[in-house]
Amino acid sequence: MDNTDKSLIEAHCRGDPMAFGELVRRYGDSILGYLMRMSGNHYQAEDLFQETFKRVYEKAHTFRGSQFKSWLFTIATNVAIDGLRRHRRMRVVSLNQKLDCADRDGEELGAVALADDSYEPSQEAAKAEQAEQVRNAIDSLPARQRATLVLAYYQQLSYPEVAKVLGCSLGTVKTQMYRALRTLAQKLPDV
Amino acid sequence: MQNHLTERELIEYQFKLAPQMRMKEAAEHLQSCGECREHLEKLKRKFATLDLLREETKISEDLISRVVEQASQPVQKRIVWFRKYAWLSSAAAVLLVGVLLVAAQLSKDGSKKREFAKETIPVEEKIVLASKPEITSAGRLDEKAVGKRMLAMAPKGKEADRYAAVGGTAEAAIPEQAPFAPASAIELVTLPRRDKVQLTIYNSADLTLVRERRNLTLKKGWNWLQFMWANTLIDPTSLSLEPLAQADKIDIQQLVFPARLRELGRWLIRSEVSGQVPFEIMYFTSGLSWRAFYMGTLSQDEKTMRLSGYVRVGNNSGEDYENAQTRLIVGQVHILDEIAELAKRQYPYNRPVEFDAYGGFRALEEKPERLDEKLFYEFAEKELGTELRRKEIVKEGLSEYFLYTIEGTETIPDKWGKRLLSLDAADIEVESLYKYDEQRWGEQTIRFVKFANDEEHNLGQTPIPDGDVKIYSQADSKGYLSYVGGTNIKYIPVDEEVELNLGPARLVNVEPKLMDFKTDNFMFDTKGNVAGWDEIRTWKIEITNTRMLPIGIEITRGFDTAYWTMQTDIAYEKYDATHARFKLNLEPRSKRTFEYTVTTYHGVREENFAPKE
Repeated sequence: MDNTDKSLIEAHCRGDPMAFGELVRRYGDSILGYLMRMSGNHYQAEDLFQETFKRVYEKAHTFRGSQFKSWLFTIATNVAIDGLRRHRRMRVVSLNQKLDCADRDGEELGAVALADDSYEPSQEAAKAEQAEQVRNAIDSLPARQRATLVLAYYQQLSYPEVAKVLGCSLGTVKTQMYRALRTLAQKLPDV
Repeated sequence: MQNHLTERELIEYQFKLAPQMRMKEAAEHLQSCGECREHLEKLKRKFATLDLLREETKISEDLISRVVEQASQPVQKRIVWFRKYAWLSSAAAVLLVGVLLVAAQLSKDGSKKREFAKETIPVEEKIVLASKPEITSAGRLDEKAVGKRMLAMAPKGKEADRYAAVGGTAEAAIPEQAPFAPASAIELVTLPRRDKVQLTIYNSADLTLVRERRNLTLKKGWNWLQFMWANTLIDPTSLSLEPLAQADKIDIQQLVFPARLRELGRWLIRSEVSGQVPFEIMYFTSGLSWRAFYMGTLSQDEKTMRLSGYVRVGNNSGEDYENAQTRLIVGQVHILDEIAELAKRQYPYNRPVEFDAYGGFRALEEKPERLDEKLFYEFAEKELGTELRRKEIVKEGLSEYFLYTIEGTETIPDKWGKRLLSLDAADIEVESLYKYDEQRWGEQTIRFVKFANDEEHNLGQTPIPDGDVKIYSQADSKGYLSYVGGTNIKYIPVDEEVELNLGPARLVNVEPKLMDFKTDNFMFDTKGNVAGWDEIRTWKIEITNTRMLPIGIEITRGFDTAYWTMQTDIAYEKYDATHARFKLNLEPRSKRTFEYTVTTYHGVREENFAPKE
């Protein structure tokens, strides 16, 4: 158990107003990144992020485990899967969505074009297109497979950790991972 | 040799999904099998594309604050009305199916045909009823009502013939009642990329009208179109959506701002067509600005000038604009609000209302001011030629504007500025002019460059907007430039002359000297006091031109009275009531001197003043 995490949780349960903020700050980047990859939408990810930590805030007193990170990812996964289910038919396209060759993190290749002399429009456009294909391929995965892939590949959790987060056996995690990869092998762009 | 590894085995090997024994076997096989190694490499390359999404995510302090604040809010009880009565919906659905079967059975009975034919039920109503079983106020399904209406859904006889004749209209008819504002499980029309975008930037008011054309894919019926403006300075109160085709079949019903969802609005669109339809979306945003500036290069003999005009467009609106036609408005506009302030507001129009204890409602904050709608419609109609339903035109205001369109399109990403060439004219005939006016500029001689915005001067295509101008001159034949001076020019209409004030001249000097002063022609009143007199001054003006070029100079002299006469050997003009102006030309490296005597009349002598023609 990470004593610091534990002490923060305990402090939060005692009513320390700073402890919860510290936990959000400590795990914010990884949880937001996870939810971004799960939802594929920045705004939805922020909503899911808020929901995740709201549950952490409310359920902190029930935390009895030894790994706060796993517990947190479990909550985030449940929130994400619920959210995806709720929003499965909702396609949100933002006005400020990048247009031709934008990535998902708000970087605009047109801006790069102005800043960088070595900018190659065709290469960047191809890269942006590939990123979009990857995004679509991941979006096409069922929620559990997607969670497994994102946790194992992007969040770099070990398979036993993923099993703990998802509350299933190691074998199930490996099966889910294989199925996700099998699907991706069909859908990812050729390079 | 052992069989090749399957794709599954390769994936399991690559991602360490297989048991240790199989991993070892696969590794041994790969060492000896080039074909499988190649297959694995191909898979690795393919999976490497996953790294395209491996970007770092950084949480903002703002989000942390929001999360902490929201989490600490007390838990609100959720209203579970619909869940509570979910079983009723199921029951209603089962009942409907049953009733439909009964109706179908009845329809076979010829004796019932006339009864059905008598009852005329609109097609739309059928659809509504079919999807909306009635629930009584007590929460129970009104079986009687449903049964009656459901019978009407399967009309026979004349009505049946009528429905058949329209060929599927009954199925495709659009419910009259608009769907409730979407909460979560709703299909939204996706907003595709812009086909065209036009920016009209009012610089004076930090205001830009954005006019986008996008092809939306609509389905027949009710469509929701979602707009988000998070992190932009878009004024949500100004959003407008208009179909550019099939306008008679598409109705934009309303724009809603769902509760609890930040910075988004949803348009409800009723469409009688299915497929792609071009739409125009207009809104105001803040954060885009422009300014003009110019560079003039005088030829060595300073008789001609090349003038390059630039416009620098800056984008801090939070939105990227690609291939935008950019139009700049010169002139002052009147708006009630600062758009940037509006855009930063959490709720577009107002906060949600809350009900008070007496059944009324009150707003949670005071009603905010709104963007001057007159301006929006006036501008859209006059400048863009767009017909909007609510028209209100203030013509006085329009006369103050001028539209300056940049040729072609430009991509202006957020947080970037872009300098665009707006004009480039060579061989503009200019007149180098020096001016001396002690009352305006003190004892300095000021240098001017004079030209006209007309065809004769290779200009005159468009008016020239306000902006800073810097003038250089070619120092030698190799093209080296030396800085001459800079100034700010005001808007120059076509066919209008302009004089650019380039500041004090160091090589041209004017020195006036008072050579003689006397008074004369005293007049006295009846008590013997002085009632009037003349003052006679003789001035000597010495002009020195140390330049290598001939120059023209205007010397303006003021007398502080309108009652004056002058005697001099050189030509002058009466510039106004109290000033005279001399215009002279000087050769290179030369000096010139002239004298004049001015008589000013004071007191009762003014009555006898008779200026020479």
